Amino acid sequence: MSQREIAYSEVNDDIVRSLVVTGRNYYITLAVSILVTFACFFGPWFYQIQYGIGAAGMNHPTVWGTYLASFIFWIGLSHSGTLLSAVLHLTNSEWRKAMYRSAEAMTLFSVMVAATMVMVHVGRPWFVHWAVPYPNQMEMWPNFRSPLMFDVMAITTYMTGSIIFIYMGTIPDFAAVRDRTTGWRHHMYVLLSLGWRGTDTEWHRLHWAYTFLAVLIVPLAVSVHSIVSWDFALSIVPALHQTIFAPYFVVGAIYSGTAGIVTVMFVLRKYMKFEHLITKLHFDNLGKLLLVMSLLWTYINAVELFTGWYSESSEEYEALGFRLFGFYGPLYWEMILFCAVAPLLLISKRFRTSFVPMLILSIAINIGMYTERFLIVATSLPRQYLPDAWGMYYPSLVEILIMIGSFGMFTTLFLIFVKIFPSVSLYEVKETLPEPQPKLRTQSESGAS
Amino acid sequence: MAINALGLFDAPSSALEAAGELKGAGFEAPEIISPIPIHGVEKVLGKKKNIIKRFTFFGALFGGIGGFALAAGTAVLYVHVTGGRPVIAIPPFLIITYELTILCGILATVAGFFLSSRLPAMRDRVYAPEAAVDKFAVTVECEDSEQFRRAHEILQNAGAEEIRELGGSE
Repeated sequence: MSQREIAYSEVNDDIVRSLVVTGRNYYITLAVSILVTFACFFGPWFYQIQYGIGAAGMNHPTVWGTYLASFIFWIGLSHSGTLLSAVLHLTNSEWRKAMYRSAEAMTLFSVMVAATMVMVHVGRPWFVHWAVPYPNQMEMWPNFRSPLMFDVMAITTYMTGSIIFIYMGTIPDFAAVRDRTTGWRHHMYVLLSLGWRGTDTEWHRLHWAYTFLAVLIVPLAVSVHSIVSWDFALSIVPALHQTIFAPYFVVGAIYSGTAGIVTVMFVLRKYMKFEHLITKLHFDNLGKLLLVMSLLWTYINAVELFTGWYSESSEEYEALGFRLFGFYGPLYWEMILFCAVAPLLLISKRFRTSFVPMLILSIAINIGMYTERFLIVATSLPRQYLPDAWGMYYPSLVEILIMIGSFGMFTTLFLIFVKIFPSVSLYEVKETLPEPQPKLRTQSESGAS
Repeated sequence: MAINALGLFDAPSSALEAAGELKGAGFEAPEIISPIPIHGVEKVLGKKKNIIKRFTFFGALFGGIGGFALAAGTAVLYVHVTGGRPVIAIPPFLIITYELTILCGILATVAGFFLSSRLPAMRDRVYAPEAAVDKFAVTVECEDSEQFRRAHEILQNAGAEEIRELGGSE
C-alpha cells in the first residue's frame, strides 16, 4: 500500500488533530451553513406551516413536488454509505478502511435530512406520530397495506441501523481519542467509548457483532430504496407504474451515493489534511464503482423507455413524450448528459486518479440525479389518463429555498460530525499498515521474526 | 486483594508469545489489550464462544413474528376493507415483517455485543492508554506477590518494554 511509511502513533496524532485543532475556515463554513439552514430551510418551513401547504406549488394533479424529489434524493444519497461500507466489510476490501466512517456519516445525515423532508411535505407535521402504531384513544391503527407505512417502517429501521452501525464501529476510536483529550471533550469520549479497553475478548465480540450488523444492513439498504420506489410504482400513474422501479431506484441510489462519497472524500482529503490516508487508490476504486453504476443506470433508463414504447399504450406514450420533449425536456437531457454520458470519462484511469476532475464529475452526477428525482414526480403526475385532468407543476419559491436549505442542513450536520467522530477509522487504518515487528534484542530467546 | 501484572510490548507477535507462556505457566485468563484486533489470538488463548449469533437469530425471529403480528393484528383490530382486498393481506404485510425482522435483529445484536463484552463498564479496569496507540499489553491477574514475581519474569523474558503493577478489580 502507499501508506507504508506511516507509524501507528501518527495515525492517532492525525485523527486527534482533526478533532481538536479547528481553523478559521471551519468556523466560517459552519456559520454559513447554519445561516443557510435557518434562512432557507427553517424560515420558509415556518412560513409554510403558518400559511398552509398552499405556499408550495403542489396542487392537483401534481400533489408531489420538490419535497418528495428531495426526499428521494437524500434517501438515495444515504445509500452508498452504509451499504457500501457493509458490502466492502463483508468482502474484506482493504481500501474501504480509510473512507467508510465518513461515508457512513453521510448516510446517517442524509437519512435525517430525508426524514425532515417528509415532515415538510406532509404539511401538518404535528400529526406525523399518527404513522406510528401505538394504542390511542381513537382506536385507530395505521394502514400497513399502504406503501407510505412501508416507508415509515423501512426508514425508521434504516436510521436506527445506520446510527448503530456507525457508532459500534467507532467505539474503539472513541476510546483512543478519550485517552488523548482533556476537559469536556474527554468527558464526552469517556461516555461515548463506554469503557472500551481493546482486550482480545472485546475485539472478538466487536468483530462478530459488526459482521452480523453488516449482514443485516445490506438487505435492509436494498429494501429501503425499493420501498421508496413503491411509493410511486404501486400507484397507477403512467410512467410510474413499472416493475423496473425498485432496481431502478436502488441503482440510482447507490450511484448518487457513491458520487456523494467522492465529493466528501475530496473535501476531507483537502481540508482535514488526510492526503496520506485518502489516496489515489480510493478515487480509482470509487471511480470504477461509479462507472459500473452509471452503465447500469443508463441501461435501466433505456429499459424504462423501451418498455414504455413497447407497451403501445397511449397514456404511456404521452407521459414519456412529455418527459423527453415537454416543458421539462431540457432537464431530461441534462440528466442524460450528467449521469450517462459524462461518467464515460471514468474509463480512463488518468481521469479516475485526478482529484479535481473527479470532484467536478461527482457533483455533476448528483445534480443529474437530483434532476432525475425531480422529473419522476414532475413529469408523470401532470400527464395522467384523461387530458382534462392534466396540469403543470412549477416549484414555488418556498420549495426552491427549502431544497437549497436541505443542503445547508446536511453540511451543518456533517461539519459537526467531523469534530466529534474521528472521521477516518483509526484502528482500521492501522490494520492496513505493516504490523510492528519486535525490536532486535540481545536476549537469547527467539521471537524476533 | 489481587494484583495485576501488565507488560507492554512493541509488537503483536511478542505479546502473543507472552500471553501463551503465561497461559502455559498456569495463569488464568491472560488478556491482550491492543490498538488493533490481533490475528491468531485464538490459537494462543483458546477459541472464544460466539454468543452474539444467538442474540441476532432470536432477535430477528422475534422481529419477524412480531412484525407480522403487528400488521395482521392491527388490521383485525380496526377492520377497514379497501378495494375488496383481504384484511390480512400477505404481500404487503411481508414487507413489514421483513423490516421488523431486521430492526429487531440489529437491536438484539447490539444487546448481545454489550452483554458479552461487558460494556458499558461501570468501574475501572486494568488498562494501559499506550495500548490504544501503538503498544500491545498483556495483563494477568495474580493472587499474591509470589505469583506476580513469576508473571513479571515471564513478561520480561518475552521482551516486555515495561512492566507495571496495577491494583486488581475487586
